[in-house]
Formats: sequence, C-alpha cells, structure tokens
Amino acid sequence: MNDIADVQGNILRGYRKPYVRYLILEVADPGAARRWLAASVSGHGDGVPQITPYNWGKDKPDTCFNIGLTYEGLRALGTPSASLAMFPNEFIEGMTARALKLGDVGPSAPDNWPKPFDEPKRIHLIATIYADKKQQLDQVQERALAGGALKKLDTREGCSFEDDAVHFGYRDNIMQPRFEGIHDRERHDDGQPRAPLGTVLLGHKTNLEDLMWRVPQPAALGHNGTFNAFRVLKQDVVGFEDYLDQAASDLLKHKQVDDVLAPGAEAKIGEVLKLKGLTRHGALREVVAANLCGRWRDGTPLALSADTPDPKLVKEKFDYTGESRCPYGAHIRRCNPRGGQIVQRVANNSRRLVRRGVPYGPLYVRTQPRDPGKAEPERGLLGNFIGASLGAQFEAMSCDWLNLGLQDPRITESNDPITGSNDPSASWFDLPLKSGNTIRLRGLPRFVSTRGGAYTFLPSLSAIRFLGSLTT
Amino acid sequence: MPADEGLLDRIVNWLPTTLGFKRVASWILVPYWAHKTPVKPLPGGPHASFQHGDNVQCMMNLIMPLKVKSPIGRAEAALAIAQNKDAIYAGLNNVGTVHFARFVIVGDNICMFSVYDGDFTNYIRDFIATIGQVFNAVVSLVEGGDDVIPCEENVEAFIQWVHERDLYQVPDTPTDFLRDQEALNGDRAVSPVNDDLTLLPRKLVLQLRANPNVSLGSGYRAYPGYSAAQVRERLGLGW
Ligand code: HEM
Repeated sequence: MNDIADVQGNILRGYRKPYVRYLILEVADPGAARRWLAASVSGHGDGVPQITPYNWGKDKPDTCFNIGLTYEGLRALGTPSASLAMFPNEFIEGMTARALKLGDVGPSAPDNWPKPFDEPKRIHLIATIYADKKQQLDQVQERALAGGALKKLDTREGCSFEDDAVHFGYRDNIMQPRFEGIHDRERHDDGQPRAPLGTVLLGHKTNLEDLMWRVPQPAALGHNGTFNAFRVLKQDVVGFEDYLDQAASDLLKHKQVDDVLAPGAEAKIGEVLKLKGLTRHGALREVVAANLCGRWRDGTPLALSADTPDPKLVKEKFDYTGESRCPYGAHIRRCNPRGGQIVQRVANNSRRLVRRGVPYGPLYVRTQPRDPGKAEPERGLLGNFIGASLGAQFEAMSCDWLNLGLQDPRITESNDPITGSNDPSASWFDLPLKSGNTIRLRGLPRFVSTRGGAYTFLPSLSAIRFLGSLTT
Repeated sequence: MPADEGLLDRIVNWLPTTLGFKRVASWILVPYWAHKTPVKPLPGGPHASFQHGDNVQCMMNLIMPLKVKSPIGRAEAALAIAQNKDAIYAGLNNVGTVHFARFVIVGDNICMFSVYDGDFTNYIRDFIATIGQVFNAVVSLVEGGDDVIPCEENVEAFIQWVHERDLYQVPDTPTDFLRDQEALNGDRAVSPVNDDLTLLPRKLVLQLRANPNVSLGSGYRAYPGYSAAQVRERLGLGW
C-alpha cells in the first residue's frame, strides 16, 4: 500500500527551516480539541494551522506545522480503550517510566526535569512550528492557541546554525536512513541497504525479516503512524571544550603522541577546519573530538580519513568492515554499526532512526573571553528520534548500544563518549592508533544531560481525521 | 531473648513454629489476609538498574504449564526441543547475548531458564527474529500460548506474555522486597517506603500466595559479570 501521501511531513524528508518552536500542550476541552484536530487537516488555511503533509506540493510552505500525541493525549481526546490497549507498552508507560533504560539517571533523572516535563501526565500534544523567519513562529502559535481547545504548558525553541553545525562544534544532519521507494534528492548513496518503510511507518515491512509491529486499530488510526522520542538534551559545551583541552595536554605528554598526530599534520587539520595558526595541542583537541564522534568536526568520517579531515571525501559512504580506524566506541559507530561486526548479528541495520533536531541556546564561540563569574546560558539539542518501534529502535539503541556497549566486547562497560551517562571516575574511551594499539582516555564527564522529553505518536493525516471525528 | 518476655509473648512466638499452627494458618489465616489485603503478583525479571554489572548475565526463568498434562504432553515438549536443537544453536550464535539456555521439565511444566546480557525485550525480540519458529513450537504446547503465536506477527504481545511468565526475583534484602511491593502499589510517591520489618513475613507469605513460583535472588555469580561476547573474546573463541 503506497499511500504515503497520508504521512505527516518531516518524517520521510526534512524541512530544513531554521526556526523551530515546540508547543507543549494540554487538552483543555476534549470536544474543542477534536474539532481543532479536524480543522488542522481541513484544508482551510485561515484558522487552525494546517498540518504539513509529506506531499507539501511544488513549493515548500513558508511555515510548517506538525503534531505528536502522547498516550495521555490520546486518552484525553477520547480514543476508544480497545485502540489505546494496542499501543506498545513503552509508549503507554511514557518516557519517564523508562528512565533507567535511557540512562536518565542522576542529573538527567525525570525528578530533576523542569516545567512542563515535571508533570508528564499533563503533556498531551506537542505541536511543532517550523519557519523561515522568527516572527512567523508567533503568528502560527497564536492561531494554534486561539479558541482555547488546547492549553499551552510551555514552549521550547531552537534555531539552526550555519552549515548544519550543532553545539560541540560538529556538523550534523549528514546521515538519515534512505527508504525503499522514497526519493530524496538531498540524500546521497551511503552504501547501506535502503531501509524498508516499516523502519519508520506502522503497517509496512520492517527490517527484521517476517516481523511486523502491531498497528493500533482501526487502521485509520494506526496505519502510517510512527513514534517519536522527543528529547531536550542539554549540552555542557564548556565542559566538553575543557575535556578536549585536558585530553590534548595528556596526549602531548604521551610517548606515542606522534602515532596519534603525525608531526606537521596540524597544518592540514588547521587548514581544513579553518583554524588559523593551529598548534599541536590545538590539533590534538581536534583529533580527540573526531574520535569521540567518529567524524571530524567538518563531518569527514574517520572510517575514511583518520589522520586529517578531508573536504573532498563523500561524507556518507563508508563501512566498518575490515580494518577501520573509526573507534568502536565512537558515537556514530555505536548508533549505526552499519555492516561492521556486532555481537547481536540480527540487529545490524534494524535499529535505525530518523533524526530531526535543532540546537537551542546561543552559539558558543571558544575564542571569546569568558566571564568566570557569569553562568553560561543553557545550550543543547531539541532532538526527535523517530522510528516505528520505540522499543526496538530508540530504546534498544540507547540502552544496549549507547550505554552498555554490548555490541562489541571491546567497548562493553563503557558509555557513549558524547551522549552517555558518564561518570569521570569510571569512564573510558579507547583511541585507536595506526599501529593497532590504543590509548585509553579516562575521566570523561557527562557532557549531555536530559532536561525533558516525551514519547509521542505521530499520527497520519487519516488518523488526525479519525481522532477529530470521535464522539464520546 | 529479652528477659522480661511474658508467657503470652512466648506463646505467640512459639505458635508459628508448630506444624499444626502452620496448617491452620495456610487454610484459614492466609486466605483471610489475602482477602483483606489483595496483593498483586510482583513483575518478573531482573530489577531495573543502570549499573553495568547488573545488566550482564541476567536471568530469565520461565515456568510454563503444558496444555497436555500427562507423559504424552511432556514427551511432546521434549520432542519439540530435540527437533529444534540446531535452530537453537543457530539462534544463540546470532543473538550473541546469551550465555546459557536450559529447557527443563518439572511436573507438567516446561521450564526455560536462560542467562542473557542487556535488555530483556531486545533479547526476546532478537530471538523472535532469528528462531521465532522454535518459540512457536514450544509455546503452542503451553497453556495460553495460542494467543501469541506466531510470535513474528505478535511481537509486542509475545514479549509481554513471556515477561509475565518470567519469575519474580525476590531481592536478597528485606527492604528491597518491601520497596518492590510499595512500588507496585503505586504509593512510592505518596508515602516514604514502609520499612517496617515486622510486616515482612506477612507480606512475603501474601506475595508467595499470589506468585507461587519465584526466583530467590537474581542468581549468585562466582565471579564478576561479563557479557557472553567478552568471555568469548577473552578466551579467543571469536564473538
Ligand atoms: C546532544 C546530543 C547529541 C549530539 C551532540 C549528537 C551528535 C551527532 C553527530 C555530530 C552526528 C554525526 C552527523 C551525522 O552522521 O549525521 C550524529 C549522528 C548520529 N546520532 Fe547523534 N548526537 C546526540 C545524541 C544522539 C542520541 C541521543 C542518539 C540516539 C539515541 C543519536 C543517534 C545518532 C545517529 C543514529 C546518528 C547517525 C549515525 C549514522 O547513521 O552513521 N544521537 N550525532
């Protein structure tokens, strides 16, 4: 059934709009909220903002608008209990109940989440506005909230940086799964098998042969829907840069330092990364940053070029088969081991996620003098991790791969160096050398902490119509 | 024993040690308590933890009552395992996170005990994806199994079904047991954990009434936890 025109936009293709605002909403009046949903897919553009569909037409709309519903939201709207019972457990329980699996412990624990995430049961609907200009966000928000069907609990807002940069200075948005039967001009061949549509849409074939996820019934509700883990991920940018400083200083003193950074390589690294007068210490910082991620900060994959970044290389197409110089524990290798050997052989390619994210907080400029007396503004990533099964994809990746490192005995017991719940007294990361030896970096603190989030169901347009037509 | 213990105290302490009292209590007192304070069975499987050591070599203990409760039923179960031996080995190899899997017949139950690494749902899901047909063959012989097979088409329901049959792992410390009980009743948020140890025997009896088969502790290891792949790698067996 190729009826993907019914899918909400921003799932199969990204919008690439710079301004993004999340409205975190509670159903104030169920009847009015159902009418609001019906109006959002009515095609009448003057009132409730119209949901942007997958087929947004020849010209991308000025602003885009999409929604996700929590389990509590579906309940508040009067979804029949037989349908509710067909949603997967992790979605029914909600993100806060899954904290241990997700590594949301210590400072990331849901008990420490600020408003509105401190009252997860009140979060019913998360609407997202995407715009080219900042003032458009307010205009769309006003239309969304008019009429009082939905109460605004709070908002979160982000804005993209130039060249797809994210905090910590990496380039993001290079990889996304490419789907069978979907043409996306922006996605280049990455050498990986195309992901079946069931990776991201309910009711389609999944990557695990013969396995189908349960589609909540009626089909109008479940079919072509998907699930999203919305995460507010705070990034300790200063802590990250400080760690690079410290690791580079330690490496400078290491007897195998020339194996980490060939003498003179700092000039090439400085040239590609546009860092004038890069010292050896500065270049070692970049080497460490590249290894933690699996990509140099300009996006060059270590799997293709481990000694220096190279802007001429294709950034998507590589694999981890054979001798790869990408660390086993690097962020991108943990999240997507591609065709490389992993312990759970059936899981290669089966846990892939669509990622849509936007940074929040001001860009950090390391060379700008810091006032040690002044607290840094909060910075981070408003991340959406989308897949047809939260359990088999987002949670499986978070729990067994990012935080336990079960996929490879050489990283088991270590956490992801960038996003993991690291404790400096126990954390470690092995930096591979050309010789095949490794240097173990220690003392990595937690760079990313969770400041909120929710599991949402991203209904198809038919499902929004179905919910809008419910009478209770 | 405190010196000031009176005769009545002594009788009260002595009574429960007598066989007669235990009989009377099982017939009358326990059902009466259970009626007065309904107790939900505690969920099975390892206790959720973020510590690495707690997430490797986890135990699954399934006790599944056979549909056919006779030597014939038991023989059917034995055959189902024997016929699928090769698939089981292939599954263990591909899933990669299992240390041991044992099938045991006890009374009219087929029991599956295994030691695995990582998250339970991932473990079962990966197994369904590799050797779903073995699960189907075994579960079709078990009471209530028909509702969740073929497991490939009922992944979520099947995982839940298995989870519901995985034995509760009674914690080693009484306070952890009381905490589980409170968490299940959903009153963790409203009351501080009730650590009144004098209530322990009663709570344990009621829980064991609701949950007749349990695992005592979460498995005792003779050495620290390693993943199956770590063991294989260190022994040079390939992983
Ligand atoms: C603030 C936190 C995070 C930062 C700064 C971050 C950063 C990055 C960067 C720079 C890349 C490389 C760009 C690319 O390949 O497109 C990347 C890739 C990726 N990240 Fe993250 N990430 C974060 C959190 C997460 C989390 C929580 C997950 C999953 C649960 C995740 C999953 C992925 C995946 C699947 C890829 C693509 C890998 C591939 O296909 O090669 N990331 N991330």
